[in-house]
Amino acid sequence: MLLNDSDLQAIWLTVRLASIVTAILLVVGTPIAWWLARSRSSWKGPISATVALPLVLPPSVLGFYLLLAMGPNGPVGGLTRVLGVEPLPFTFWGLVLASVFYSLPFMVQPLQNAFEAVGNRPLEVAATLGASPLDTFFTVVLPMALPGYLTASILTFAHTVGEFGVVLMIGGNIPGVTRVASVQIYDHVEALEYAQAHHMAAVMLIFSFIVLLALYAWRPSARNLLRRG
Amino acid sequence: MQLSIKVDKSFGAFTLSADFTVTGDRIGIFGTSGSGKSTLVSILAGLLKPDSGEVMLDGDILFSSDKHINRRPEQRRIAMVFQQHSLFPHLNVRNNMLYGYKRCPAEYRTIDFDTLVAVLKLEGLLERGVTNLSGGEKQRVALGRAILANPRLLLMDEPLSALDDSLRFQIIPYLKSVSEQFGIPYLFISHSLVEMRLMTDTVLAFEKGVMTCQSSSEQLARNLMGQSFSGYINLLKLGHPTPQSGLFAYPWGTSQLLLSAGSDRDASMAELSSKDIILFKQHPEAISARNLLECTVRSLFNSGNKIGVELECSGNTLIAEIVQDAVNELSITPGGTIYAAAKASAFRMLPA
Repeated sequence: MLLNDSDLQAIWLTVRLASIVTAILLVVGTPIAWWLARSRSSWKGPISATVALPLVLPPSVLGFYLLLAMGPNGPVGGLTRVLGVEPLPFTFWGLVLASVFYSLPFMVQPLQNAFEAVGNRPLEVAATLGASPLDTFFTVVLPMALPGYLTASILTFAHTVGEFGVVLMIGGNIPGVTRVASVQIYDHVEALEYAQAHHMAAVMLIFSFIVLLALYAWRPSARNLLRRG
Repeated sequence: MQLSIKVDKSFGAFTLSADFTVTGDRIGIFGTSGSGKSTLVSILAGLLKPDSGEVMLDGDILFSSDKHINRRPEQRRIAMVFQQHSLFPHLNVRNNMLYGYKRCPAEYRTIDFDTLVAVLKLEGLLERGVTNLSGGEKQRVALGRAILANPRLLLMDEPLSALDDSLRFQIIPYLKSVSEQFGIPYLFISHSLVEMRLMTDTVLAFEKGVMTCQSSSEQLARNLMGQSFSGYINLLKLGHPTPQSGLFAYPWGTSQLLLSAGSDRDASMAELSSKDIILFKQHPEAISARNLLECTVRSLFNSGNKIGVELECSGNTLIAEIVQDAVNELSITPGGTIYAAAKASAFRMLPA
């Protein structure tokens, strides 16, 4: 067996994390992307910049601030204390929350582009045909923006799988809880287990290549999104 | 249908200031680009909110700034056919057409899907994707979709401008017959006077955001003759042609016209500009123009610095355009006889 139980556990945890983060971001990212695509508000610039911050910010910086926010004196930490929930740092759900912030632009930007490409006219047509705004969104906008949703989901999933810095800052390295594939590789290298590191790294490499190959083959325009991302 | 609009709407330097009441089922909004006609239509459909004023359709208030009423577009039952067909690319022809129908309250559903499909000749296309349709087919589907929403008013915002000439005149009969057959009043927006005359009875003309006149489409065409580059366009209904000396002889009223263009169609329509008609006081002995008609002067009218001469020829009406000096020289007066000449090549066949 090329991968030991600990490796498989890390891969399973990574897939679970990436799936949950992608699902959450589909729900959270849609209204943000919709607002950014449609709004003429003066807040559009600052909000866009905030959403894009994880693209340029060192993961350790983002991780540091999230750690402070989730800590006993931070706003999120205060909230968890009031709700009687265990503190989020060094837990799986802390990792989920951090990953949602870290992968936000990978969901929002492709969706925003897709919504902008749909344009105003289909919405006007649907309205004059008796469709309410919510009806229009689900019956016209969503199907027309479907390629954007697929691109955004794939990019978000793949980006979450590849996280390292934020994971270490927020989750640490707890087997079965926060030790994801990238941290597992780091552990192997630290322990001079180069063969194990190779096997894990190869899995990551092949996974990333297949994801990108699928994306490119299916939708050439995804290249532009990747460049921008 | 009675429509009352008194609204103001400003965008930067442009202001639309409309104040009119119009009654009828075939209404036209005429104006050049930037005249405000599309703004007016968007306000009527509820896609644009006026700065102030009131919009009423058949006594129903759609917008009132004083009463704080602004009915949402989906609550107005005003359907629209846009310049571009704007079909939903993810739905096939059938589901595009049924989009508004499914959302129309049951008590208003009076139009039968199959009947409309037959009128629009879309039977064989229902399961096709809309991206595979021709321009004319797409516009027919868009028209069907709007009609099936069972609207109380249909807005057609330059529905023909994206089509080439041959398609344009293929679609006009559909636009007319569908609305008339299913009893849906319409507002037709265009910058083409010919389309206005073919489609509407009453026309509201707009210029720089202000309504300049409300008249019949025929009267508007005559009023604008003097300032139009192409003059007044006579629309001639012709019968079945027969070849004659390299030309085509078309029955027209009680006489016939010789045209250089011909087709095998039974009934055709041709355009002849008022500028392409030459008037003679007496029968000329010989002229190169192949059409010489003896006409009676019915009336004269001013248009810009030109004089329009309304002629009765072979039971039909022709409008010729001349200057005041020519009126004086030829002593043209109503009731007098005059000869009108037109070259065979001056006619332009309208595609059927």
